Amino acid sequence: MLEDTIVRKILGAALSTGGEWAEVYAEDRLSHSIRLEDRRVEELITGQDRGAGVRVVRGTSSAYAYTNRLDSDSLLEAARVAAAALRDQPVAEVRDLRRRTSDLRHPVAIDPAEVQRTSLAELVRRADDAARSHDPSVAQVIASYSDGRQHVLIANSEGFLTEEDRVRTRFAVQVVAVRDGVVQTGFDGPGRSSGFELLDQFPPEEVARRAAIRAVAMLDSRPAPAGEMPVVIAAGNGGVLFHESSGHGMEADLVAKEASVYSGKQGQRIGVPEFNGVDDATVEGGWGSFQFDDEGTPAQRTVLFEDGVCTDYLTDLIRARQLSQRASGNGRRQSYANVPIPRMTNTYILAGEDDPDEIIRQTPKGLYAKSLGGGQVNPVTGEFVFGVVEGYLIEGGQVSTPVRGANLVGDGPSVIGSIDALGSDFDVKEGICGKEGQGVPVGNGAPTIRIARMTVGGTGGAA
Amino acid sequence: MTIELNDVVQRLAGEAAGGEGVEAYAEQTTRTGINAFEGEVERLTSASSNGVGVRVVREGRLGYAYTADLSEDGLRRCLAEARANLEVSTEDPGNVLPDAAPFEPLDGLFDARQVDVSPERKVQLALDLEARTRAANPKVSKVETASYGDAVVQVAIASSKGVNGSLALTRAWCYSTALASEDGQSQVGFGIDSARSIEDLDIGPVAAEAAERAVRLLGATKPPTRTVPVVFDRMVAPNLIGVLLAGLSAEAVQKRRSLFADKLGERVGAAGLDLVDDGRLLDGPGATPFDDEGVPTRRNVLLAGGVLQRFLHNTASAAREGASSTGNAARGSFKSTPGISAHNVFFEPGDKDQAGLLAQAGEGLLVQDMSGVHSGANPITGDFSVGVTGLWFRNGELAEPVREATVAAQLLEILQGIVAVGSDLTWTTGSVGGSSLLIGQMTVAGA
Repeated sequence: MLEDTIVRKILGAALSTGGEWAEVYAEDRLSHSIRLEDRRVEELITGQDRGAGVRVVRGTSSAYAYTNRLDSDSLLEAARVAAAALRDQPVAEVRDLRRRTSDLRHPVAIDPAEVQRTSLAELVRRADDAARSHDPSVAQVIASYSDGRQHVLIANSEGFLTEEDRVRTRFAVQVVAVRDGVVQTGFDGPGRSSGFELLDQFPPEEVARRAAIRAVAMLDSRPAPAGEMPVVIAAGNGGVLFHESSGHGMEADLVAKEASVYSGKQGQRIGVPEFNGVDDATVEGGWGSFQFDDEGTPAQRTVLFEDGVCTDYLTDLIRARQLSQRASGNGRRQSYANVPIPRMTNTYILAGEDDPDEIIRQTPKGLYAKSLGGGQVNPVTGEFVFGVVEGYLIEGGQVSTPVRGANLVGDGPSVIGSIDALGSDFDVKEGICGKEGQGVPVGNGAPTIRIARMTVGGTGGAA
Repeated sequence: MTIELNDVVQRLAGEAAGGEGVEAYAEQTTRTGINAFEGEVERLTSASSNGVGVRVVREGRLGYAYTADLSEDGLRRCLAEARANLEVSTEDPGNVLPDAAPFEPLDGLFDARQVDVSPERKVQLALDLEARTRAANPKVSKVETASYGDAVVQVAIASSKGVNGSLALTRAWCYSTALASEDGQSQVGFGIDSARSIEDLDIGPVAAEAAERAVRLLGATKPPTRTVPVVFDRMVAPNLIGVLLAGLSAEAVQKRRSLFADKLGERVGAAGLDLVDDGRLLDGPGATPFDDEGVPTRRNVLLAGGVLQRFLHNTASAAREGASSTGNAARGSFKSTPGISAHNVFFEPGDKDQAGLLAQAGEGLLVQDMSGVHSGANPITGDFSVGVTGLWFRNGELAEPVREATVAAQLLEILQGIVAVGSDLTWTTGSVGGSSLLIGQMTVAGA
């Protein structure tokens, strides 16, 4: 993408004013998206984006300049702009660049760029038909497909250089069901670091049907109760909860600023001995996977909780050096227009040994959260809130009435500490995680879990 | 640079073949961002980027493509992609380009003073903001983020129908997040200011507010579940208005995703409630003389006395029902086709400040922070259930802080339940202005 000699020159210019290390990140991204709504293929968009950024780092301070012109003059100018933040004599030199490769593979069987436009249109139409034929109450279907091939070059003054192709494909369906004036929505949206073969694994009809089932089931719902109760969370969805409630608090930038409820918690027991959590960028084809992170650190599996004990934090290069911790390969960015910061990749609660059905049978009264929407956390206090998009009451150890408008509220460490059952099943949900205005693809996984007591917010009065 | 963008869009618009409409939208953004932490510059970002999006329409079909490669070759490829994409789209009467219409220039979007501000001055502001926030209260243990940011944005748009507009605008903003600690508990508080130039930013109140909001939450506990009057603070009110707005787009109505569908002319809000979107209001960050497809902007009254007056239109939604655009076409960037969004939307302010609203309500909850809005508020079904942090108030006076509570209601109930709008209308960085809002009754769920 860029000649090694040019990269060296850029890094040299970046280090000319006293930076301890410098980095070049360049990317070229080709993306396609198609969207159907109201039975119409509304738009097919092809996009070509590219640009590069130069970063100069000293201690925990960094200066970053980016441009979307990839000629050597523009890049040298970016290096000078970033370097201008410092005014000292050079303290470091650019080492000889060595190209690195990874043994990790996230295979792409069918290059999305080779897929015919008419095939894309057919996909979203098939999803539309399947959702509408599921139930007469289905009133609206939004089906979308997107793919992207991101080619990145990452190099730093310590002699590292790599290029990586990252291909991601996602298919998503949202269904609106209406009956007797009641409106409910359902969503399903699998995604992988893979090619167009994603659609063989997740045929559009099945994705559409899952979204339709959720929307239609909730038509018979009544307002969720409010108050404290046991909550059982279906496989996959507990991963979303784990991501928000604890994962963010274990990102090292917040830990280093002591702005996380998990600061200083390393080595402490937070959860039951059966509780194990990891962040794993090496999962083959995972939505949040890669070969190298956006600073060139190899993808790895980081243990966040082992036997209930808080173990490692998620670091980027700056925070790893600051905290004298291992670089965990979690320096990620949305694009060349952003600096890398510590981010999650594929964040999983590992499966336990309890029979998922038995977990519900052993719960006399509570809430079954079959599908969670997005969530939000205040990492300082650990407090979070989650919308339950498909929820049911548990009565007498049985899943009973569907309930709507439920929210789960709590704080990370308390909730981890209150998990008293971990199922032997496991599932993954894909999403785009936002932090400091940057969105990156993340996978969240978990078995069926039970939280012994948790605050549920709803409009149906006290439980 | 404006001239160059103009060249790009004019050249593309000129490529239109017979029976085809071509529109090009180009933007160029230059940004600075500075974060200060513990007396040092933690991060400085400086950037410039540009790109163009091309919309092609023919026989009711639409094709779109974008590129950041503004070379001759890049533009030609982009146009070819848009044309090819058109082939698979479904016919829609909305797939038309707007006619050219003259717009009144809007002076004051671009503050020339901002152009010559030195990087050192920007860095100093961030450092000063951090120091002031830390010094504002002894219980402030740390400033999680003290940040300065600015942007110079240039936009050019041209179409084969004769639309041709360009503009340049400046923005500068700063914000601070204070961390207060006591007895093993930590709380955060936020303060923000924004303007057209760094010259008009005032860091004193930002620092004081961030510190005050963090400190007053110390000792927060989970409240008992009760149904009480609730005051939404001016910083959280925009989240609530934002959810309502989703249903005020004509596109949402046409696609049956609006809880306001079939309610035009009906009273949907409390009597006396006026909701306005004004694209020419210079106080608001969304001010612009023309929207993102070149249609002149104007003042649109959405609710008058609680009665639903109109929906927001772009050219596509208007064409579908034989109406005219309200000048509300909006794009996230050159990478997307025009959707619909408000420019500067706000409830007409009342005559009482927040203290006046608390006094009026007597006892209830003041909501200072709201979380989970994107998941807990559903603009299609009207379900609204969010996590809140704030302070209880009694006899109109602030009392104990509250955490881990949720408030839940139907959106239309909330809109009907707005007893009073505060006089404290404030614009920050989004398209929604914030005022304190007093809601008569809501369920606050805690322990």
